[in-house]
Amino acid sequence: MNYLPKNRFKSLYLKRIVVLIVIFVSGAITLSLFGSTIISLVSPLWKAENALSRSLQTGITFFQSQKTLAGENMALKEKLSYLENKIMSLSKDKDERDTLLALLGRRQNSQMLVASVLAHPPQTLYDVIVIDLGSNESVSLGSEVFLPEGAILGRVSEVFGNYAKVKLFSTAQEETNAILERNSVPVTLVGVGAGNFKIMIPRDIEVESGDRILSADVFSYLLAVVEEVSVSSTDSFKEVLARTPVNIFALRFVFVTP
Amino acid sequence: MTRHVIGSIIVLLSILLLPYWIYIPVLFVAIITVPFFWEGMLFALMIEAMYTVKISIFTPLISPLTVSTLILLIILLPIREKIRLHV
Repeated sequence: MNYLPKNRFKSLYLKRIVVLIVIFVSGAITLSLFGSTIISLVSPLWKAENALSRSLQTGITFFQSQKTLAGENMALKEKLSYLENKIMSLSKDKDERDTLLALLGRRQNSQMLVASVLAHPPQTLYDVIVIDLGSNESVSLGSEVFLPEGAILGRVSEVFGNYAKVKLFSTAQEETNAILERNSVPVTLVGVGAGNFKIMIPRDIEVESGDRILSADVFSYLLAVVEEVSVSSTDSFKEVLARTPVNIFALRFVFVTP
Repeated sequence: MTRHVIGSIIVLLSILLLPYWIYIPVLFVAIITVPFFWEGMLFALMIEAMYTVKISIFTPLISPLTVSTLILLIILLPIREKIRLHV
């Protein structure tokens, strides 16, 4: 009789499947309940990693040749001058708009908190960032998260005592109402991950690379910048690809509304 | 046992320090190369707990990463045994 080894194999196989399913279900529930504990245990390592990567970047810059640095310095001066002009023109409009909104009884929340980004894509999945502020600093679910430059980035979607997880608007399949600044056309931004968005608009609406996409609320925060427009001759819609104003893979600090 | 410990350390360090396009392949390679690497299930759940947004307590049970890890571990059980029997 040679059935015994086969039966033993089947029995061992079933036992292992049961073990895996038990680990899966119990682990999922346990780790969900102790998510904040895991993050607080890991956060010192993330902080050390961030500090180390900044030191390494400084070290690499130090060893670059003088010629490269002079070229880079010139390019940066030009860029700085261009951005200063751009900021000045933007701030003029912004002041006017803020005054108008204040007259209408709508004031922006000026008391923002600065948060350090502990983990960001590509370390995290699905365009989520982990920040070092939580419910102890009056951060709550739905709190808006901004870039230091003023663009809106996402909303707090999970809060712990000293930490919070922020879901970026660019998370895959995340839909956000927005306004295409050029024509004030309402659009729906669909996140496609890695700080990118996709919009489908009728082909008659004019849109160009570099156009700004603003949030649909009265404060009109910058959400994204148009990168590429593609349309084929047979389509009645065109596909607009946009991205967040900064590289989300290099986020260091964000502002959070309490 | 040694392979389990070494595999766990490598996977853990890659989850904590490296981008997802490295730590997810590392996790799957560990599951394939280390016999009955059940710790991989815990690492997949840990990735979910740390790096994704939890909608409900059951979110990890329907996550593509954790479910695919479970399926891979289950699929590998008979394959590994058959390879061992026929060699």
